[in-house]
Amino acid sequence: MQQITLSKRINELMVLAVLERGPAHGYQIALSVEERTGGAFSFQHGTLYPILHRLEDEGRVRGAWHGEGRRRKTYRITSAGRAELEAGADELERQFRALLGLLRGTHAA
Amino acid sequence: MPREHPLERVERELKVAPRHRLDLIEEVDADVKALQAELVRRGRDPVQARRAALRQLAPAGAAIEKLEARHTSRLGRWARASAPMDRALMLGVAAIATLAGVRAVMALQGLVSLGPTAVLAWPQAVVIALLAANLARAVTQLWIHGDLRSTQRQSLWARQAGLIVAAVALGALGAAWEAYPAFVTPASAGWEVVGRTASLAATGVATAIFGLFGWLAITPRLIADEEIERRITSFFAQARPALATPREPSRPEGGPR
Repeated sequence: MQQITLSKRINELMVLAVLERGPAHGYQIALSVEERTGGAFSFQHGTLYPILHRLEDEGRVRGAWHGEGRRRKTYRITSAGRAELEAGADELERQFRALLGLLRGTHAA
Repeated sequence: MPREHPLERVERELKVAPRHRLDLIEEVDADVKALQAELVRRGRDPVQARRAALRQLAPAGAAIEKLEARHTSRLGRWARASAPMDRALMLGVAAIATLAGVRAVMALQGLVSLGPTAVLAWPQAVVIALLAANLARAVTQLWIHGDLRSTQRQSLWARQAGLIVAAVALGALGAAWEAYPAFVTPASAGWEVVGRTASLAATGVATAIFGLFGWLAITPRLIADEEIERRITSFFAQARPALATPREPSRPEGGPR
């Protein structure tokens, strides 16, 4: 499996989680992440687009252009993306439980 | 002077194929406008909303680097990863081009004994090598780096055209040099002189054809790129003058605040 950093993984999973609720434009994903995490996470300076394009290249989301002249792009999650989201959420939960166990001096579940 | 569109800086800095640049600026521009409208709807001042939308969505710094990596070929990424690798690639191209030129003249000398006009045949080898190197540079930029901007494209074409003219001129000069003694003293003329004259003229024409057809081979891609660049230019020309992008330090990745 490709080695990626935890923050990169979290960003990908946040995007997938937003798209799980339905297709969205890039700005809607950014806005939704910020709102649904109570402002704890946000994408700044266009950092959302490399993530979206990577997910699209890897087949975990599908982008589609709409409109004539001035086009707009909408993203939707694919079945591979859903599977990734499910597996990723479980994996993160395990990692954070272990981390919290360490920080609070308790054993991981 | 009209103010620059905030995404023009992004388009300039992003070194990827024009179609990727166009897709990105269209996507970001539509998102910025929609986010601005949403923030205004929520009671934000339009100017502040525009700034906030640009700060959040307009790619800068690390985001541009990641987009470049995403939309560049594997070989392009490898070449871009370090300057020595890029230089090694260009040196390789130059070496192959030089060999092509030398080989062409050696082949010519194998056909006919050039004698004193060899002094013109070797500059022809240099012209062949420069033509091949110029073409290779254009091909590398188009297919490996993916980004050949119009100014660079024009300068490469000007060089190619100049070299084509030089090739024809050298061929004509060589042919004239060979033919002149025979013209002055027709009795001394033989088939050997005719052969050398024709060979030198043919080398000039062949070199010119090589340069011309080489450029023709990449022309479809050049036309396609130019068409997309025209769309990028018209995109910015049609866009209403907007606020400048706020210059703020870029964060490497969206993450916890």
